[in-house]
Amino acid sequence: MPKSLFIDPAALSGKGVIHFADIPVNQYGKTVAQERRSKNFTDADLVRIYRDMTVLREFEHMLNLIKTQSAYNGVETTYPGPAHLSLGQESAAVGQAYLLDRQDMIFGSHRSHSEVLAKALSCIHKLPDAELLSVMEGFFGGRILRTLEKVHKAKDVKDLAIHFLLYGALTEIFARENGFHKGMGGSMHMFFLPFGVYPNNAIVGGSGTIAAGAALYKKCNDDTGLVVCNIGDGSLGCGPVWEALNFAAMGQFDTLWEGKKKGGLPLIFNIFNNGYGMGGQTSGETMAYDMLARIGAGLAPNEMHAERVWGHNPLAVIDAYRRKKETIAAADGPVLLDVLTYRLVGHSTSDQNAYRSKEEIEAWQAADPCVTFRAELVAAGVAKDGVFDAIWAETRERMTKVCGWAADTELSPYADFAKDGAVIERLMFSNERAPTAAKAPARKPEVLIPKADCSRVKQIAGKERAAVVDGKPVSRMRTYNIRDAIFEPLIDKFYEDPTLVAYGEDVRDWGGAFAVYRGLAEVLPYSRLFNAPISEAAIVGTGVGYGLCGGRAVVELMYCDFIGRAGDEVFNQLSKWQAMSAGILKMPVVLRVSVGAKYGAQHSQDWTALCAHIPGLKVCFPATPYEAKGLMCAALAGSDPVVFFESQRIYDVGEMFHEGGVPKEPYEIEFGSVNVVRRGGDVTILTVGATLYKAVEAAELLAERYGVSAEVVNLHSLVPLDYTEIAASVAKTGRVLLASDACARGNFLNDVARNITELCFDDLDAPPVLVGARNWITPPFEFDEYFFPQASWIIDAIHEKLLPLPGHTASVNHFAPVEQMRRAKAGV
Amino acid sequence: MAVAVLMPKAGISVETCLIGTWNKKVGDPVAVGDILFAYETDKAAFECESTAAGTLLEIFYEDGAEVPVLTAVCAVGAPGEDVSALRGGAPGAGGDVAAANAAQAAAFAQLAAGEAQSRPDVIPAAERVELGAPPLAPMPTLAPAPGPVKASPRAKRLAERLGLSIAAALPTGPHGRVIERDVEALSQNQRSAGDAQIAAAAPAAGTASDPSAADLAAGTATQTTPAAPIFSAAPNAPAYTDTAMPLIRRSIASAMQASLQSMAQLTHHHSFDASQILALRADFKRHGAALGAEGVSLGDMVLFAAARTLRMHPDLNAHLLEGGVLRRFSGVHLGVAVDTRRGLMVPTLFDADKKSLLEISREVKELAEAARSGGISPDRLRGGTFTVSNLGVTGVEMFTPIINPPQVAILGVCGIMTRVRAASAAAPAPAALSAGGGPGGSGGGAGIETYPAMGLSLTYDHRAVDGAPASRFAQALCNHLERFPLLLAL
Repeated sequence: MPKSLFIDPAALSGKGVIHFADIPVNQYGKTVAQERRSKNFTDADLVRIYRDMTVLREFEHMLNLIKTQSAYNGVETTYPGPAHLSLGQESAAVGQAYLLDRQDMIFGSHRSHSEVLAKALSCIHKLPDAELLSVMEGFFGGRILRTLEKVHKAKDVKDLAIHFLLYGALTEIFARENGFHKGMGGSMHMFFLPFGVYPNNAIVGGSGTIAAGAALYKKCNDDTGLVVCNIGDGSLGCGPVWEALNFAAMGQFDTLWEGKKKGGLPLIFNIFNNGYGMGGQTSGETMAYDMLARIGAGLAPNEMHAERVWGHNPLAVIDAYRRKKETIAAADGPVLLDVLTYRLVGHSTSDQNAYRSKEEIEAWQAADPCVTFRAELVAAGVAKDGVFDAIWAETRERMTKVCGWAADTELSPYADFAKDGAVIERLMFSNERAPTAAKAPARKPEVLIPKADCSRVKQIAGKERAAVVDGKPVSRMRTYNIRDAIFEPLIDKFYEDPTLVAYGEDVRDWGGAFAVYRGLAEVLPYSRLFNAPISEAAIVGTGVGYGLCGGRAVVELMYCDFIGRAGDEVFNQLSKWQAMSAGILKMPVVLRVSVGAKYGAQHSQDWTALCAHIPGLKVCFPATPYEAKGLMCAALAGSDPVVFFESQRIYDVGEMFHEGGVPKEPYEIEFGSVNVVRRGGDVTILTVGATLYKAVEAAELLAERYGVSAEVVNLHSLVPLDYTEIAASVAKTGRVLLASDACARGNFLNDVARNITELCFDDLDAPPVLVGARNWITPPFEFDEYFFPQASWIIDAIHEKLLPLPGHTASVNHFAPVEQMRRAKAGV
Repeated sequence: MAVAVLMPKAGISVETCLIGTWNKKVGDPVAVGDILFAYETDKAAFECESTAAGTLLEIFYEDGAEVPVLTAVCAVGAPGEDVSALRGGAPGAGGDVAAANAAQAAAFAQLAAGEAQSRPDVIPAAERVELGAPPLAPMPTLAPAPGPVKASPRAKRLAERLGLSIAAALPTGPHGRVIERDVEALSQNQRSAGDAQIAAAAPAAGTASDPSAADLAAGTATQTTPAAPIFSAAPNAPAYTDTAMPLIRRSIASAMQASLQSMAQLTHHHSFDASQILALRADFKRHGAALGAEGVSLGDMVLFAAARTLRMHPDLNAHLLEGGVLRRFSGVHLGVAVDTRRGLMVPTLFDADKKSLLEISREVKELAEAARSGGISPDRLRGGTFTVSNLGVTGVEMFTPIINPPQVAILGVCGIMTRVRAASAAAPAPAALSAGGGPGGSGGGAGIETYPAMGLSLTYDHRAVDGAPASRFAQALCNHLERFPLLLAL
């Protein structure tokens, strides 16, 4: 909604048609002989292309035998994990990798062994020995290299590197400690950053948004190279993939981004189109496009330079990449490639191929590039047949040795979970304090004006930093509130960390739907603060890609309820990559979500429980300005993904509890700590979110009417959570009530209550009692008091479940056991 | 101007009193000194005289209410006067906090008895909250109490630490659960009960199963449960009745339990030949009228003998205090267990070792009478150094009386049995039988004879006294009782 782009009714009402340019289909058509003459390849190059194909083929052939016969070339072994093979697709993978350099990134799918090996083999060929050695020495402190030195006498550095690659990949698949990420990723998540191989993703299309985020990182940080997103034709049925396609091609890169940042993302969507999404036939059965490349025409005026390429010819794929690299270099990305290929075996080793005929498989076997390309090379006189026999013999010998080493549990041990209970525990969070991203050294943060000139900064300077000053409440307009407390650390960080970007829906001109970012647009170029499409999956998924490349992203989903739209990106991607990479990847991403009010059932839910349930996410929910600033400072200084909950009910509140109000200078609140806002001796009230203020109201009534003194403790950090202070409070009071605006069933506080019961059982004078919202849809605002916890409910719960209060009569019937049973039985 | 009549403070340690029944009703004329209502503490019953004259304008607390002392109970004045200012307490200056606490305690007790809804009036107006619509959820009620006591872990831990029985606590928590505050209340009761010597002999039968009107008025709840038809021919006949114990009963219960749990008690049983005191008793009855001593009983003589003997055994006339201090008393102040309708009471016979047999006899009768009528001053219910519990008339052969802490011993007086022994010339007043057989038989040398043997059961706290000195005391007492006249020299 920038004012610079005028939506003109006169222009829009004019008559016309949309023109589409033709989309090329298999237009390559050169022979090996022609390529030899064009000097694009030496004979050695062509033979090496075939050599790489044999490595890919034999690697998966080995996996197929291990999975189906528990043995390969005399090495008896097996493993329980998956093997999604791409036998038959090797030429497409090798073709793709041929021109890619180390700084080019590829992202993959569950069927990406070949892409990984091809990209790595390409790098091994291109990198000088010294660089290769330093990669191998530097990886996990040279641990894989040390193991290989015990058993392998390498011919040369490249031979060593090839063994290193095969061994690291296979031990990863075998879940061994020597795997590329210590076995924590496995077959479907394999990658190797030093060669530009970024994570494969077991969620179909999962790499779509992440690769777009990586391309965003390259663009925003002037990083060289391009990003390839390898996904399958089946993933074109996934919404997030379409979101990624649109996000990567959005108009603002051309219309609004300026200077070096102008132009499309350096991204190639490489769709390996093998005709099937598992068993569903995409063209003709499950998809509408007929020919996949057609979709480019619907996405952008440049049709994303879409093209269909015959993937069985590695030279056709190389040709396409040669041309597309130029497109990317001209800042005219992203590009869509529909690379035709075919997998000769099933989706997985348990696939019975019920969905395709024997005839079809046999026809493709006859067109197997490992057969046809070799024949073409021999026919063109590139090399004699015996050379290829020797290549096959060498590949098989390498594979047999590597398989033997990987199968050997002495040489390639499993992580010892029995001895070391914290193998994965150590990987869940990186817990680093990284003021700026590692990859952006002394780059100056790009800003438009000095921070002090920002109108919002000036406005905040004139505000009172506490809700009450000299005993008098400060007027709303003059109170430093939670909005300001989120804005302040964020703008500070923008002037400190050059990689920091923030985006989401309506964050720029609007200043965010709740005005948290108001004023930021004055100081930041589009490349650091921009409006995202209404694509929650892409907003979070690109954040994940941006973060795992080493950049810091603050992405916003406006309403917490929209997490559903980004479910996979929050729950499978943002949360898991640090541990799945064995700590190689960091995820310095803050996901801001806001718990709504007034907007009914689909805009008012507190979904903290969903986020807290998923391992790998830090979850916080500040309810005071002091908490908001301290937690945002900590989130922005850390290396872990943080889901940062906010509440629209309390954006306006000033600091009521912290002595002296909110400090001007930055400070961090440690994740896991709690905020004791009121001391008391008779009952502990633990709160999450805006309910804090209801609890304080209840505490005042309890003191006034019943002489009961309540200690109110706000859990501003849900994950992690240190129970020390909570247990101390409960030991003192013996009674604990937990309250939040989240629905009572499955409320995160139930988990806290259970822990308290176990940790403090002998201190308890009654079981902990939970006061949550009703297990209903959120009704219209007019009925809030019937749905969300009220101070009176808190008092009722204390009266009925913890400490009967003389003279008190319950105002609601929420806490009688019979009613509790009835509601549970009815599911409400 | 209308004035309030305050609940009297019936003793130093008394904080609340239960109103028994009102003698006057609203509208009745009242003169100073008129009996307005009966009331009781957990130890004694009293009558409240009006301190004002006029018309009884309003009664703030109905029958059975527990009222903090020095709290306004009713208003007396001219008809039509506004009494709202008097309502809701106006306790004496400085008494606010204590009174408020006590009021709260009273309200808790009512809650537990399930009376809060029907009797909001028991909560002083100052504490009263608008009740509004009838409560939706059931209020916590006193559990009928079959099965184990429901108590919170925190309450259990506190009870363990204080050495209290959780079962003795009055549950005020949700769903009839004993919670921390109930143990704290129990502990406080315990302390005041200790002061007042609610103690002694265990089988204080009768009171709990035979609730008097006063008991019922004192906030007790009786629950009757019809039997399931399958077990009973008469479907309406109750299979059992559940009766919540009155305060005094609960006090006794806690004191008994605490005594047994906190001390190392054991009991020695002795007996002595009661021929001489029986003879004395007969003489008093026959010839004592002139001295006013015709009522001197065997029990009086035991008290007299015990007081004199204790003087020589100061280790048993003592209190064992916290911190391992044994306090031996120079005077002997005998607690005398008295069975009353409201339960066991133990008035104190101060300086018993300095009083004559006649004085002891007279005073004990007065004390027992006062205790039974409920008119005894709470200050006469404290301060004992040793207790005597006499169950002789009930035919008890031996028993194990329970010590009244912090005393270290208690003497149980049992009935008289006829026993036999080897005949001895030394035996006083023997009723001789010839040895070796039936009546009329005779033989040279040892024969056997019968004699009236009276049993004494001495329970002592082994922490304070060892078995030998305790036995020596009992032995000395037996000797003194067998030769009672010698004691008169002391």
